[in-house]
Amino acid sequence: MDKLNENVRDKKQIKLDNINVTPILAALILGFIVVAIYVILRRRSAGRRDFLLTGLCEAGKSAIFMQLVHGKFPETFTSIKENVGEYRSGHVAGRLVDIPGHYRVRDKCFELYKRNAKGIIFVVDSVTAQKDIRDVADTLYTILADSATQPCSVLVLCNKHDQTTAKSAQVIKSLLEKEINTVRDTRSRKLQSVGDDEVNKPVILGKPGRDFEFAHITQNVQFYEGSAKDNQLNHLTDWIDRML
Amino acid sequence: MLDFVVIFTKGGIVLWNSNESGKNYAACINSLIRGVILEERNTESKYFEEDHLAVQFKLDNELDVVYAAVFQKVIKLNYLDTFLADMQTAFQEKFGGIGHQERLAIDYEFEQEFRLVLSAAEAASAKQGKAPKAMRSYNESQKSKKTVASMLQDDKRSVTNEKRVNIQESPPATKSQPSSPPRSNADIIQENRRKLREKLTPTKKAASAAASAGLEAKPNNDREKERAGKKPRVWDLGGNSKDAMLLDRSKDAPEDAQLQTINNDLVGTMQGSIRDLDVESDSDAADSEASDDSEQEQQEQQARRALTRKPKSAGLLSYFKGIVGAKTLTLSDLQPALEKMRDHLISKNVASEIAAKLCDSVATSLEGKQMGTFDSIANMVKEALTQSLVRILSPKRRIDIIRDALESKRNGKPYTIIFCGVNGVGKSTNLAKICFWLIENDFNVLIAACDTFRAGAVEQLRTHTRHLNALHPAAKHNGRTMVQLYEKGYGKDAAGIAMEAIKYAHDTRVDVVLVDTAGRMQDNEPLMRSLSKLIKVNNPDLVLFVGEALVGNEAVDQLVKFNQSLADYSSNENPHIIDGIVLTKFDTIDDKVGAAISMTYITGQPIVFVGTGQTYADLKAINVNAVVSSLMK
Repeated sequence: MDKLNENVRDKKQIKLDNINVTPILAALILGFIVVAIYVILRRRSAGRRDFLLTGLCEAGKSAIFMQLVHGKFPETFTSIKENVGEYRSGHVAGRLVDIPGHYRVRDKCFELYKRNAKGIIFVVDSVTAQKDIRDVADTLYTILADSATQPCSVLVLCNKHDQTTAKSAQVIKSLLEKEINTVRDTRSRKLQSVGDDEVNKPVILGKPGRDFEFAHITQNVQFYEGSAKDNQLNHLTDWIDRML
Repeated sequence: MLDFVVIFTKGGIVLWNSNESGKNYAACINSLIRGVILEERNTESKYFEEDHLAVQFKLDNELDVVYAAVFQKVIKLNYLDTFLADMQTAFQEKFGGIGHQERLAIDYEFEQEFRLVLSAAEAASAKQGKAPKAMRSYNESQKSKKTVASMLQDDKRSVTNEKRVNIQESPPATKSQPSSPPRSNADIIQENRRKLREKLTPTKKAASAAASAGLEAKPNNDREKERAGKKPRVWDLGGNSKDAMLLDRSKDAPEDAQLQTINNDLVGTMQGSIRDLDVESDSDAADSEASDDSEQEQQEQQARRALTRKPKSAGLLSYFKGIVGAKTLTLSDLQPALEKMRDHLISKNVASEIAAKLCDSVATSLEGKQMGTFDSIANMVKEALTQSLVRILSPKRRIDIIRDALESKRNGKPYTIIFCGVNGVGKSTNLAKICFWLIENDFNVLIAACDTFRAGAVEQLRTHTRHLNALHPAAKHNGRTMVQLYEKGYGKDAAGIAMEAIKYAHDTRVDVVLVDTAGRMQDNEPLMRSLSKLIKVNNPDLVLFVGEALVGNEAVDQLVKFNQSLADYSSNENPHIIDGIVLTKFDTIDDKVGAAISMTYITGQPIVFVGTGQTYADLKAINVNAVVSSLMK
């Protein structure tokens, strides 16, 4: 019995002395490298890759979405949920998200997707733009003033140019500039809300002393015309291709 | 008969439609979406009316698709529920296996299946209409539904029951003998005696007596139906001298003996319930029998078509699916979690009706959804409830009073706001706060004191005016007084004062007019009428309902009746109802913020201001995320 114990003890001692440290170290380093690569890849893939389609109700966002992603023009109704699709052109692809325009669902939906947005496409109904200019400007201001959208590029697409009474992009641009000037003023006087949001302090757009112009803000804003019905979306596709 | 059947995704893309009449129903469907689905009012009924069209719809939460059928409102189609359910099954069968990416890309060919389902549903409903009255089984009869206690009766009750029944049966019995040929006196006496007898005998006897007397005897069916209709009550101790002849029973000994046996027959059948109800339950029973038949047929059809689907859910696999996930949610699964949520909401001061409706709506939106591997039912219910709460509290239009006031200023009109509410909610206090906010933003304000009832109301507003003018003296604002008060003392007509105030504001180029009204209870009709007149005559830009955050279930009653009164007592086509809500005394509730939900759910209008104290600076706007998170805490 004692001999057995001695043998065991000897073996143990031998084992402790002869531990080969290098394989263990190599395994640890390899594991560390793998984890590091994974984390880096994760962070890159979580970068901005999406294009958001926003705008008021009845602007034509879902129609544009269908044209771009599937090449069809079906009838559309008010969206309750967002539409997500893959936009391919040539060998590049990007994710296109159609955010519903209705006030009740718009904000929550926009919150979900704004952090991953690379480009924002703001769709305006050119026919009713003059009448609804206050709502349009209010919505556009909310999008532009959000701190999460500062690095995005913005394209304002004046939709429904297949109709004769559609305003041109220049007219809409100047209307919006004037209106956003007023909105900026009234927003600053707005009441504080109950239970303040620390995270989303809105950004003041443009230069404080002077009239608002789209050239003053950090985002790159461009205006184009188009029509989803006639599939006249060349400017839009060119813009997206340039971004990708 | 269906004008328009459409299947569209929740993202708004139409997958398939069938348009019988070629008209454009987009407006109708859009108002359905905005009025019902987005307002979280999709409870059990799933039916929506607008103009002369009606829509019945069904949500499919698994494929995120909505099925809707539009038809004329006047035509009642009772097969639509089963029709929509069958359409859902057929659609899921045909297109259920399509991957997420391809969903919008393919063309949806559904015409054939639609025709099949429609013809099956129409045939089933036609059959239901023609089905003969089947005999009730024991379980459907009234007897099986009675408790033992109700069957135990003492003799007194049964006797009086009989008596009442007997007398009620007599008028139709007598009616069944119309023009009889004139007879001699003896015959008349005989006939009267017979009438007396019939009053005390059941219909079988009367029918046989009538038949034996050679007069026409109506069939039993009609008799049943006559008995079922409303009959004039004949009191057993009433009657006048004309009845004396009929009440003469001096000669009828043998009939009396026969009477006894038939009365005993009656005793067994008339316990507990009145005969009227039997007729209704007959037809109900017949309907349920018929619908059973039609359902059987449909099931056969579906079985024919869905044979391949059955093995998937059989045996061991279903057991594993229950553990691992990919389980479809049913109503019974959701019930316990919903009960807890409902109680939680009620504990946060949400009105109980509203909490129940909200939970129903959440159940509708979750039913049929597939659970992921790591989701629990409680989490899904919580998430869905949070989403619907955010939807309800989010305003449905842009709120920017300053912007709109600027617009009115540019047009040269004053911007009018009328404050209404019940007594003691804080109308005058919050009016002063809003006035302060407006003059801080460089607007000229006129306060119209249309509360001509409460003692001290005008003085209160006068004090506020003085304070506000002291805070913003005319010198600072180019010499114009920022706040003015328009008052005509007490006891005058509020609508007249408001009209004069607005005219004065127009003439002196005042920017905003704030109208303070007297507090009134919602069920006080003359006061609601006068409020409605005030609003109709003056046509304000904004009608704000002031409600306190402490109110509980009463909020529902207040708002419903206020809205109702404003709509009813105004003679316009489009009455001006409540446009917004001011929630006051918000500092007195900690996190029991349920009143906000109740009020916005009932009216569908946003909360424009929140009052959080009694000084001029205690005015805030609502923060939807904060309120929802404190509700769900």
